[in-house]
Amino acid sequence: MPEQPFPPEGAIAGAGPGGAMDLTASEAGTLERHPRDPGADGSPAPPPGPDAPDPAGGRPRSLWSDAWRDLRRNPVFVVSSLIILFLVLISLWPSAIAPGNPLACDLAKAQQGSGPGHPFGYDGQGCDVYTRTVYGARTSVAVGVLATLGVAVLGSVLGALAGFFGGPWDAVLSRVTDIFFAIPVVLGGLVLLSVVTSTSVWPVIGFIVLLGWPQISRIARGAVITAQQHDYVQAARALGASSPRVLLRHIAPNAVAPVIVVSTIALGTYIALEATLSYLGVGLKPPSVSWGIDISAASPYVRNAPHALLWPSGALAVTVLAFIMLGDAVRDALDPKLR
Amino acid sequence: MLLDVRDLHVEFRTRDGVARAVNGVSFGVDAGETLAVLGESGSGKSVTAQAVMGILDTPPGRVTGGEVLFQGRDLLKLKEEERRRVRGAGMAMVFQDALSSLNPVLTVGDQLGEMFTVHRGMSRKDARAKAVELMDQVRIPAARERVRQYPHQFSGGMRQRVMIAMAIALEPALIIADEPTTALDVTVQAQVMDLLAELRREYRMGLVLITHDLGVVADVADRIAVMYAGRVVESAPVDDIYKAPAHPYTRGLLDSVPRLDLKGRELHAIRGLPPSLTDVPRGCAFHPRCPMARDVCRTDVPAPHEVSATRAAACHFWKECLNG
Amino acid sequence: MAEAILEVRGLHKHYPLTRGVLFRKEVGSVRAVDGVDLTLRRGETLGVVGESGCGKSTAARLLVSLERPTAGSITYRGEDVTRLSGRALKAVRRNIQMVFQDPYTSLNPRMTVGDIVGEPFDIHPEAAPKGERRRRVRELLDVVGLNPEHINRYPHQFSGGQRQRIGIARGLALRPEIIVADEPVSALDVSVQAQVINLMARLQREFGLSYVFIAHDLSIVRHISDRVAVMYLGRIVESGRDSEIYDHPTHPYTQALLSAVPVPDPRARARRERIILTGDVPSPAAVPSGCRFRTRCWKARDVCAEEVPLLAVPQRLRGGLAGHESACHFAEEKRVVAPTP
Repeated sequence: MPEQPFPPEGAIAGAGPGGAMDLTASEAGTLERHPRDPGADGSPAPPPGPDAPDPAGGRPRSLWSDAWRDLRRNPVFVVSSLIILFLVLISLWPSAIAPGNPLACDLAKAQQGSGPGHPFGYDGQGCDVYTRTVYGARTSVAVGVLATLGVAVLGSVLGALAGFFGGPWDAVLSRVTDIFFAIPVVLGGLVLLSVVTSTSVWPVIGFIVLLGWPQISRIARGAVITAQQHDYVQAARALGASSPRVLLRHIAPNAVAPVIVVSTIALGTYIALEATLSYLGVGLKPPSVSWGIDISAASPYVRNAPHALLWPSGALAVTVLAFIMLGDAVRDALDPKLR
Repeated sequence: MLLDVRDLHVEFRTRDGVARAVNGVSFGVDAGETLAVLGESGSGKSVTAQAVMGILDTPPGRVTGGEVLFQGRDLLKLKEEERRRVRGAGMAMVFQDALSSLNPVLTVGDQLGEMFTVHRGMSRKDARAKAVELMDQVRIPAARERVRQYPHQFSGGMRQRVMIAMAIALEPALIIADEPTTALDVTVQAQVMDLLAELRREYRMGLVLITHDLGVVADVADRIAVMYAGRVVESAPVDDIYKAPAHPYTRGLLDSVPRLDLKGRELHAIRGLPPSLTDVPRGCAFHPRCPMARDVCRTDVPAPHEVSATRAAACHFWKECLNG
Repeated sequence: MAEAILEVRGLHKHYPLTRGVLFRKEVGSVRAVDGVDLTLRRGETLGVVGESGCGKSTAARLLVSLERPTAGSITYRGEDVTRLSGRALKAVRRNIQMVFQDPYTSLNPRMTVGDIVGEPFDIHPEAAPKGERRRRVRELLDVVGLNPEHINRYPHQFSGGQRQRIGIARGLALRPEIIVADEPVSALDVSVQAQVINLMARLQREFGLSYVFIAHDLSIVRHISDRVAVMYLGRIVESGRDSEIYDHPTHPYTQALLSAVPVPDPRARARRERIILTGDVPSPAAVPSGCRFRTRCWKARDVCAEEVPLLAVPQRLRGGLAGHESACHFAEEKRVVAPTP
């Protein structure tokens, strides 16, 4: 029998992940674009020119670029990221839209409604609610972002190492996370933070990182264990790849998605947690400006001056919602099951 | 004719456009007959089965044309409620993955019995007795004890028997089996195929066997419909096809099967890849991979030509193919 | 007969079964591989066939040192690979590579094809100078029948058959002597299976590779193997040259396995005798005493429950083609595959 020539399977399954996804599972995965190049006639294809077009229009598509393509088309993502962008901008330059001083208060104007130049009115201390709400964003965003960074770094490093090395490390870490999960967050905050006298944001951030990392570490551990079972990890090991290489090059890129998703959603809840702690008087303390402090201060006068409570609460709710929505959108875009 | 599918069309909406998963498929099954629908992944064979059963995911799928005549009635015109009655009592389906088709928190007996309590209004006790009877029928040893066990306590082969028991519970006229043995080991495959063949004889059921395995087909089928890119490219009695295929795709498939009885180191391979359903080639869908393709194949979709009274092939050059 | 390049003796892999969270207690073990002897000769293909759960995949992972055996030795170039570690092990790995079953999970979805096929050079920098690597990767893609221009694409842009070619190119990169292929085509469509099998056969000729080819199906193995070993529940039950196994099988399990392979020819249906085994493969955590196959064997007698049959050439059958290693007390030739007239 003459040797069968090997036609280069020049065709590319250009349909990408999306093309196959919408069909039933048994049919999925093989919705390939059919061979178009000359190789289909059985002889080896002459290599196409240097500018052979890619199916996706130019650049090679990675899962990240696909995710980005999905995100841009998702209205939930667009709205939430616009809100977040606005929040970030005003926390960097609050004076751009609020020229006043959040600490300049005039008791004579206490509880007054809105007036010219003071659209949100005054609170119980006679401070301008608009200015304080704008400045409060800075604290919330700072606490949210820094706490999330801390949690994500600490949690994913510990979780990834436990998942990767397993054995006693894993057993110890799992028990430790169990213990941290057993601590009621608000009670823990009341106890731990009441002994702190500093008025800066750091004790609050530290507390959130302390209680938040086990959540991420569990996610990271699970994601690492899942990624580790894939054959490409085995293939790298069979090639003689070192543990750091396997972990950084093969496991981490494939395990990072759930960590990002959960972190984004957690960011919103950390902002809410900061407000809660500040409301209870153990988080940030005056003269810091925080929505939690303002909500706490305004609640006794809620009948006379509801606006003083409404604006910071509204800002808090919108902010938390925006981060949670963002997290949801990111999850939809990154979830491999939907890919 | 028990089941008569005529010119069935099914489309899927995907990101990359409309996928014509089933593109004018016709076939028929008589009572007591086994029809094998043979195709590779992406050929539309499973989608055809789902459309006939009425379990297509809509959306993204949509039946856009054709008729599914079952015992003379067009199922596509029935209301969902009537359709549901046909499923189970009239026709039943056996799936590839028995583990995910069975409910893990209910015992096997409960799931079998449910068929009788729901469809036949039997008491729980009678239904349990029927469940044991059924398990005996599909040759599950120690049925009386095992009826109380959960699906995960059964091996792969035994689970597939449970699925078959469930399918025959209401004595349907037609069974559609979608790759029933693909997930099983070779020695267990033979058991399950034998069981299906026996039950079919016993109850004079029609059997539609959806498969990619030419060997299984040769062992049990009476007729074969070969599918490629959403179309039936050849349909014929099983002996005729194996003796002399009338379509180059069928010929290519037969030649590429590794065989025990033919020693040779080089396997014949069909070059290239099956097409994407969102981008099926113009003319004959097989022409880019076909060794016999000529100009007409690139422009004209071949109609099914009648090779004999029982046989049809959708190829412009079926005569040449038939003569080798 | 060519020299032996890989020798496996008494290979065991047991996984302990434990109970309890805090105080782990061993309550038994899964005997995935339980005393396997294999010899691979230079330039040949050794087919290892068995049903799921027979331990063939575990054996493959032991051969490429992805796992350490509980007992036994794997000798390559006079060294017991199972005792190596660090640099010495890494050097051996250059020469024993693996091709995986599932082309969808064996390629890292976050890496381009160029990075995947080039990774062996990153791990073994001595194999190719840095400036050469890109060119070598293109060559490799060409060798396995892929378009070298697709070097920057991601795995999900390829079909199953093409992905398997990428996996083969990665296995080939370091010019190994031995490739262990764990069911390399069982996840592929029939028409694509043949392409990949033919590719592997061609590469073997071109590069003088030795293959350990693992499969669950005797028919695929027939086309590529020089010798075949049949595995059941962690042990080899029969082994020999391919004509010995296919035309003169003496172990009842091999005979059943052969007869269970559907023949794509309805005329052969009538001619062949079908052996249909009852029941399923027992769990490797509860292996039957004596001969492991006795619970499904139609020949089983009392002695089968008491004495473990050893893998050896049966005394009575010496000399003829049926005279090859078979682990059965009642080994007897039985022709299952009908020759095609």
